[in-house]
Amino acid sequence: MTKLVEIKKLSVDFDGFKAVDDVDLTVDAGKVVGIVGESGSGKSVTQLALMGLIPYPGIIEAERLMFNGNDLLKMQDKRRRQITGKDVSMIFQEPMTSLNPCFTVEYQISEALKIHEGGTRQQRRDRVIELLSQVGIPVPEDRLKSFPHQLSGGMCQRVMIAMAIACNPSLLVADEPTTALDVTIQAQILELLVDLQKKNNMALILITHDMAVIAETVEDVVVMYAGQVVEKNSAQNIFTSPSHPYTHALLNALPERNVQARRLPTIPGIVPGKYNRPKGCLFHPRCSFVQEICKKEIPAYTRKDKMAVRCHFPLVNYPS
Amino acid sequence: MIQFLAKRFLQIFPAFIGITLLTFSLVHLIPGDPVELLAGERGIDPARHEQMKKAMGLDKPLAVQYLQYITNVFKGDLGKSFVTKKPVLKEFMTLFPATLELSFCAMIFAVLFGLPAGVIAGVKRGTVFDHSVMTVSLTGYSMPIFWWGLLLILFFSVNLGWTPVSGRLSALYWIDADTGFMLIDAFRSDEQGAFKSALSHLILPSIVLGTIPLAVIARMTRSSMLEVLQEDYVRTARAKGLSPARVIMIHALRNALIPVITVIGLQVGVLLAGAILTETIFAWPGVGKWIVESINRRDYPVVQGGILIISSLIIFVNLLVDILYGIVNPRISRA
Ligand SMILES: Nc1ncnc2c1ncn2[C@@H]1O[C@H](COP(=O)(O)OP(=O)(O)OP(=O)(O)O)[C@@H](O)[C@H]1O
Ligand SMILES: [Mg+2]
Repeated sequence: MTKLVEIKKLSVDFDGFKAVDDVDLTVDAGKVVGIVGESGSGKSVTQLALMGLIPYPGIIEAERLMFNGNDLLKMQDKRRRQITGKDVSMIFQEPMTSLNPCFTVEYQISEALKIHEGGTRQQRRDRVIELLSQVGIPVPEDRLKSFPHQLSGGMCQRVMIAMAIACNPSLLVADEPTTALDVTIQAQILELLVDLQKKNNMALILITHDMAVIAETVEDVVVMYAGQVVEKNSAQNIFTSPSHPYTHALLNALPERNVQARRLPTIPGIVPGKYNRPKGCLFHPRCSFVQEICKKEIPAYTRKDKMAVRCHFPLVNYPS
Repeated sequence: MIQFLAKRFLQIFPAFIGITLLTFSLVHLIPGDPVELLAGERGIDPARHEQMKKAMGLDKPLAVQYLQYITNVFKGDLGKSFVTKKPVLKEFMTLFPATLELSFCAMIFAVLFGLPAGVIAGVKRGTVFDHSVMTVSLTGYSMPIFWWGLLLILFFSVNLGWTPVSGRLSALYWIDADTGFMLIDAFRSDEQGAFKSALSHLILPSIVLGTIPLAVIARMTRSSMLEVLQEDYVRTARAKGLSPARVIMIHALRNALIPVITVIGLQVGVLLAGAILTETIFAWPGVGKWIVESINRRDYPVVQGGILIISSLIIFVNLLVDILYGIVNPRISRA
């Protein structure tokens, strides 16, 4: 199994605020990895750092940031852009605003082809049509000249996906690709992504809030909290025996697990922001298993077999 | 699109009537009697005074005068100058190319410098370049045209002697006014050096007239650029692996230009208004100077007619801008 992505001790700093703090992440070729966590936990920023898309004034620091054997930290911008959009591409949460309103569908998809693969105009057009039909757009020839505002949200996301897979990337990052879409479309888009992932044998990083999606589609799960990875585990183990109290609380808040309850349990408190980052374990103010040491020392991210957890007292076979 | 155009055309009429009403009343509000001004220092005997007033149609009540005027306007007759007795429209047409040439060059100057300055300031926000552009453009915007013009004349024409002080062409040359555009006429004539002379006469007035539009365009482009640069689709463009230049010049600029085009269109009004002052400073023989002189002479038909034509032009340009806006912004034209 080759390591496609290898991130070690990645931090992203926005004006002194650590949006991503000491994150480790590995993705093997052809695998599906899910990332979950509350809003603001640094899921997007981690992936943007991998893509080289951190906006001003963000500062990236890492011990290791490797993609497919290439050291992204040492790579020159120009060389890096040859990878971005070709070998690794990304789709975003808001399909409607992620497409440029001034350009046609064909232009936006074939631009990626033109930059990375060249070819004649006709070759590119044929490929665009092929891609559009791959992502399930009916009568793709008629859609070439469409502008984004003429398409529905689901269609826009399909176009985004077509654009992302245009150069057959070995990794696709999907950042909450279905959050902005309605439920029936959500399922279709996810199915499409998983389908393409299998067909093209590409790795997929799927960021989502939806635990059901994780259970269905993902092999490994990474749980993030306040910019840190708190747990990494196989999808199976996460649901049966979560190790981190945060994962445990997250699962307990699922509606599926509270069919009889009149009110859903919630995790008290909020994710710490810029000004209220606690000392010690970042989760300790909200943790129901908190001890003295949790308030003082930051727990290390420790690996055990195929899982890893950042907790002083990981749960063992705790009934969830 | 057709519906949109029809609607825009219908909106023109009320604006047009409003302008005639406004210029008519303003002109007649200016104290002073055209007949006395025509007569000059020696004065005029009362009977002759009445007679001339009648001939000019100034004896009737204002409302009647206005109705008379507006009917003539719709017939295409803007009246005759009290002073030269020539039709206003004809005089306007001979003078207008000079104003157009000046405004055009001023606009080119403004866009040529304002647009890139705005784009770079937006992209390099917070840098020294950005701050300089903003400071300079604010200064330019607040600079009174009169003072700015005199300052430039003093420095470049008087002290350095680089450019001529006034007029459109050196008195050494005699050029036939075929098109009325001095640059073109001089270029086509066989007079050696005439083109260079015409060009050097244009530089300072164009800078003076173009300064305010330049400032407005630079600031608008910058803020539009800043807004567009943080749009999701710019991130998408970067995620495709496009070079920063391509992301900015194609994906961001195309969108950022949409509001800038509107602003450029609106500057045409500013230009024509500014032309009045600029032409006066540089003794530029255009419609601006003509209107100012006519105000002093209380030449009512010229003032009314001149302002009416200029305002109509501005309305027309605004219409053009709306159409252009529809073309660059696919969300409007195809809606
Ligand atoms: N450009 C930026 N400048 C400053 N802070 C930022 C910037 N982008 C993100 N952040 C901060 O980084 C933190 C992590 O953001 P991120 O977008 O990664 O969260 P997320 O886990 O993706 O949340 P969501 O589920 O809402 O998408 C947030 O607190 C956010 O405010
Ligand atoms: Mg996000």
